[in-house]
Amino acid sequence: MYDTIKDKTLPQDGQLLLKKAEADGVETVWARHQAQQPQCGYCEMGASCRICIMGPCRVDPFGQGPQQGVCGADADIIVARNLGRMIAAGAASHSDHGRDLVEVLAGVADGTALGYTIRDEDKLRRLAAEYGVAVDGREALAIAGDLADAMQEDYGTRKKGLALLARAPEARRALWQKLGITPRGIDRETSEMMHRTHMGVDNDWQSILLHALRNALSDGWGGSMIATEVSDILYGTPTPRPTAVNAGVLKKDQVNIIVHGHNPVVSEMILQACLSDEMTALAQAKGAAGINLAGVCCTGNELLMRHGVPMAGNHLMTELILSTGAVDMMIVDYQCIMPSLGTVASCYHTKMVSTSDKARFPHMDHHEFHPDNAAEKAREVVREAVENYLRRGEVYIPVEPVDSLGGFSVEAVVGALGGTPEPLLEAIKAGKIRGAVGIVGCNNPKIKQDYGHVTLTRRLIENDILVVDTGCVAVANAKAGFKLADAIAMAGPGLKEICGALGVPPVLHFGSCVDNVRILVLLSALADALGCDISDLPVAGSAPEWYSEKAAAIGCYFVASGVYTVLGPMPPVTGSMNIVKLLTEGLEDVVGATFAVEPDPEKAALLIRRRIEDKRRALGLPAASV
Amino acid sequence: MKQVVVHPERCVGCMQCQVACAVAHSEAKQLVPAQFESPRPRPRIHVGAGPYNEGFPNRCRHCDPAPCLLACLPGAITRVAETATVMINVDTCINCASCAMACPFGVIRYHEDRSAQAGKTVAVKCDNCLARQREDGIPACVEACLSAALTFETLDAAYKRQTDAVARSVSAVAAAEALAPGWALLNAHKKARLELLTSPAPSDEKRAAGNAREDTHVRHD
Amino acid sequence: MQYVIIGNGIAGVNAAEAIRRMDPNGRIVMIGDEAFPPYCRPMISMVLEGSVPLAKLPIRQASFYDDCKIEPILGNRVTELDVDAGRVDVNGKHVAYDKLLIASGADPRPIRAEGLELGNIVYMRTEAHVRRMLDALDGGARRALVLGGGLVGFKAAYGLMCRGLAVTMLIRSGYPLSMQVDAFAGGMILDTLTAHGLDVRVDIAAEVFEGKDTVEAARLSDGSRLDCDLVVIGKGVLPALDFVPRDRIEVDLGLVVDPFLQTSAPNVFAAGDAAESIDVARQARWVNAIWPEAAAQGKVAGINMAGRTVPYERSLSRNVIRIFDLDVMTAGVVDPQVITGAEVITRFDPATRHYRQLVFQEDRLVGMTLVNAIEQGGVLMALIQNRIPVAGRRERLLAPGFNYRALA
Repeated sequence: MYDTIKDKTLPQDGQLLLKKAEADGVETVWARHQAQQPQCGYCEMGASCRICIMGPCRVDPFGQGPQQGVCGADADIIVARNLGRMIAAGAASHSDHGRDLVEVLAGVADGTALGYTIRDEDKLRRLAAEYGVAVDGREALAIAGDLADAMQEDYGTRKKGLALLARAPEARRALWQKLGITPRGIDRETSEMMHRTHMGVDNDWQSILLHALRNALSDGWGGSMIATEVSDILYGTPTPRPTAVNAGVLKKDQVNIIVHGHNPVVSEMILQACLSDEMTALAQAKGAAGINLAGVCCTGNELLMRHGVPMAGNHLMTELILSTGAVDMMIVDYQCIMPSLGTVASCYHTKMVSTSDKARFPHMDHHEFHPDNAAEKAREVVREAVENYLRRGEVYIPVEPVDSLGGFSVEAVVGALGGTPEPLLEAIKAGKIRGAVGIVGCNNPKIKQDYGHVTLTRRLIENDILVVDTGCVAVANAKAGFKLADAIAMAGPGLKEICGALGVPPVLHFGSCVDNVRILVLLSALADALGCDISDLPVAGSAPEWYSEKAAAIGCYFVASGVYTVLGPMPPVTGSMNIVKLLTEGLEDVVGATFAVEPDPEKAALLIRRRIEDKRRALGLPAASV
Repeated sequence: MKQVVVHPERCVGCMQCQVACAVAHSEAKQLVPAQFESPRPRPRIHVGAGPYNEGFPNRCRHCDPAPCLLACLPGAITRVAETATVMINVDTCINCASCAMACPFGVIRYHEDRSAQAGKTVAVKCDNCLARQREDGIPACVEACLSAALTFETLDAAYKRQTDAVARSVSAVAAAEALAPGWALLNAHKKARLELLTSPAPSDEKRAAGNAREDTHVRHD
Repeated sequence: MQYVIIGNGIAGVNAAEAIRRMDPNGRIVMIGDEAFPPYCRPMISMVLEGSVPLAKLPIRQASFYDDCKIEPILGNRVTELDVDAGRVDVNGKHVAYDKLLIASGADPRPIRAEGLELGNIVYMRTEAHVRRMLDALDGGARRALVLGGGLVGFKAAYGLMCRGLAVTMLIRSGYPLSMQVDAFAGGMILDTLTAHGLDVRVDIAAEVFEGKDTVEAARLSDGSRLDCDLVVIGKGVLPALDFVPRDRIEVDLGLVVDPFLQTSAPNVFAAGDAAESIDVARQARWVNAIWPEAAAQGKVAGINMAGRTVPYERSLSRNVIRIFDLDVMTAGVVDPQVITGAEVITRFDPATRHYRQLVFQEDRLVGMTLVNAIEQGGVLMALIQNRIPVAGRRERLLAPGFNYRALA
């Protein structure tokens, strides 16, 4: 229950624009969340089942009513099946996003993906080598074609394990092998999860959950990792570059176009069109000073990482940004695009354009983009956006943008360290940096927008813990000023010294939510350098405001990879205390890491700091008590 | 005489009682055809949200004396003593909302109902499913509630159970037997989340709030 | 025991019934100005607007007096009250009492103007008044002038608009119902009424009425002349206490009563529009001349008269009004300036046109104005009436789905 606007959102642009939206009569995500209260407790506990139509069924948590579904599944089985399907959906989303990129790579190779090209040939060659594709003396396009084929095989089931698993520390791979959770094929694990959770297949809740870990690993070390790497090949590997964030990045005197969604396949082409002389001239002819492209959500993060395109906001800003009345067009691809957006836009002049054949929305114009027509389609919709500039009404842009630094790929981090992770390891060994934490995930109206992200980040950096962030967190933290040149002032003395010497902020923008795999790659490099497993490192993960199935999959691949992970909102598992215990305690003995659930970021910071100091102690490094 | 007893601490918030109530007061008495009826059947029980968004089933208490009955201008509200039920006569009701002002529980709604003349808005509230009871049924909301947040029992039985519960709570050992640990865990989590929503941000988060543009007036006060 | 009840409105009727339940044998004399069977006074405005037929006004059978063994003296007013002798005079006769209830109600506040004797100039208080208005409508009245924007004037204007008349309303404040609602809600009401064609004129009085037998026009204080064939005077009411010896019974605006509804004179009680008791929101003496108050006070007064001591400490001004597409519910303090230390919170949702103003004094809710989403207004009213301390965040009470659980 929200009492005031301040209960709903922390950032000032959020508060001012929410006030504006409410005054304009726009129904927002918070109003709909309130209207849903109370939310069904059976579903919140994961104790309801809609899998078959002998049901639907639910289990009475008080023990008086039914304790089994019609099929005989008890609470443990029902909760496990539901959680398994949730993770399968998350893994499917990331991995299908990756597949679309592989198709563009294949299209570049055979010349059908017009307008796309290979931007990072070095990375193409490195990756091809990892996939066992011959590279020496071969043309980039030929390599790209073979690499795309090899990656597509990762989606199928013709191998014993995914190619990029080789990046994980040996001990970790051996553990997965021992547990029988080495992911074999990206699509296979998701498909098998759907099979196992069909009525009458896998009815051992522990076995279902083990497969859920395998399914999540097929995302983290498979679909998501392919998505990130192929994006780097096609659009360039990110390097640190200045950018700006918050609603203030919109320009009163320019055509404002917002890209929203996740996959850079569309937004990269939109950016090219916006930068073209033809479109700039058209904008000027319409009386605008130019075209201003900005992002929201992860497609924005992709452009920010590689081109410094400014970010207007994260998940819960996607409706509010429209209430500025300054957005001439919002172009969406897929994932996390609220179906309400078209309705919100109809209160203003904003044109809404959907672009993916797999993602359509009410009250949006559909312009379907494919690799072979994307460049041409992009010019078409940007032209429409420019023409829409003339229909603008009153504009309300209540804040000044905050400067920020983005673009930290693993390559960029290692580059900043002088070509080797050694200086970072030395700082950790010396205790100047106590450890590192990846803060990732979404916004959720159940948590005051950005409060979890910003508070946890602040507490960690002031305690000399390096923070890397992605997705919605990365935007929240940038808005909070953690990525300004002077942000080291907020860091503890050791972190301040190291970041100051390297010229980087204490919070590193690692990209979009598929880019969480960059964290896996970095952790593997650190573990290899120390000769240990990931679960031995003084590191942790956190998703303080997560909402989506994708985040559930990410959390699981973090934990299955050995990273202790603290969730803000409770996943739907409390219907089974056996499963709660397994996730929060039992997994320690299985994969060397567990989940914790703590909505209060102040307390989450303490949990994480304790974990980091414990891990330092175990490594024989100087450790403090928290 | 049995009555509906509400145990809000067991309400899971699934709203099945609302659906069952609307269906019970429909022409068809079945969910699928009921939703196409005109006027569309509506529930007389309403699951509200508590402070941390937990469920709270709110239905007519059939008070005695009933404030709504005393406040009714045309005398449309009466008490059926045999069933301890406060009833609204839809033919006499003039939709003045005097009962809305009188009801301290906010359980009366105003809309068309199939029991009333077509097109007439009337005051509608729980009738204890007297029609179902006449056919040896129990109130639809109770039938739908699997977590026993709504029970149909004599007040004596309900009082005894409550007395037993109070007695048990005196024993430290018995009190420690949590009713349902998973449910308690979820609710503790939701409470903590709510406190975070409403707690003021720490003062050092001011910077996080960002910079309002000086030349922009906040027009929407 | 001889009970005398002055007034056969709801306060008198409820008192008589309460007495009869507790004292089957006592003698009850009821003196009433109106000879019509006991009826629901608030419903006369619904008769005017046409939503309720005249025949539905009575709330008791014609046999009410016989059923309760009451001796009615109808059609006359009490002319004198002698508290020493314990008797009242009516129609030239003495009627002695052991216990007396003054539930004489209130009369419309008169106005000063020339030509008030013309036909089709009416107050709106009684069943007889509304019949005269219906007669005027039958006679072809098309253009009405309503004096006053309080509850009566407002309901008259609304009723006549529903009947299709062109209505002009003269009001003193900038919006109607200024005693019942705050300025924002008043603005919403005014907008709705004017959107439906009401002509509202502020700070103007009618000075002269012109016409042959019935009114044909009014001259206004701004010098203009307004054609009208029906005039309704709704400038509030005053307690009907002409017969009360003010040197023997404490009278302020109404008869001052203690928590047991007893006046300063022994064995003399008062209830309803004639009584002045402590208003629970204002914590001060106040005449709450409204139907539910009269109903409750009459009942409690009857119980006390019959010998059981029951306090009544819940007097509260309140109203619920539905006009066109607006539902308005108000209670307690509307203007925060009338009490000390008032804190006001409001919420208006432009999408749903839900509006709430809540007035707090320390930790108590003392006033509310709701426009639309009034279904759960009774919950708030109960908080005011029972003086329940509101802990936690008050904004929660602004949500339309508010329930007690949310207060925990």
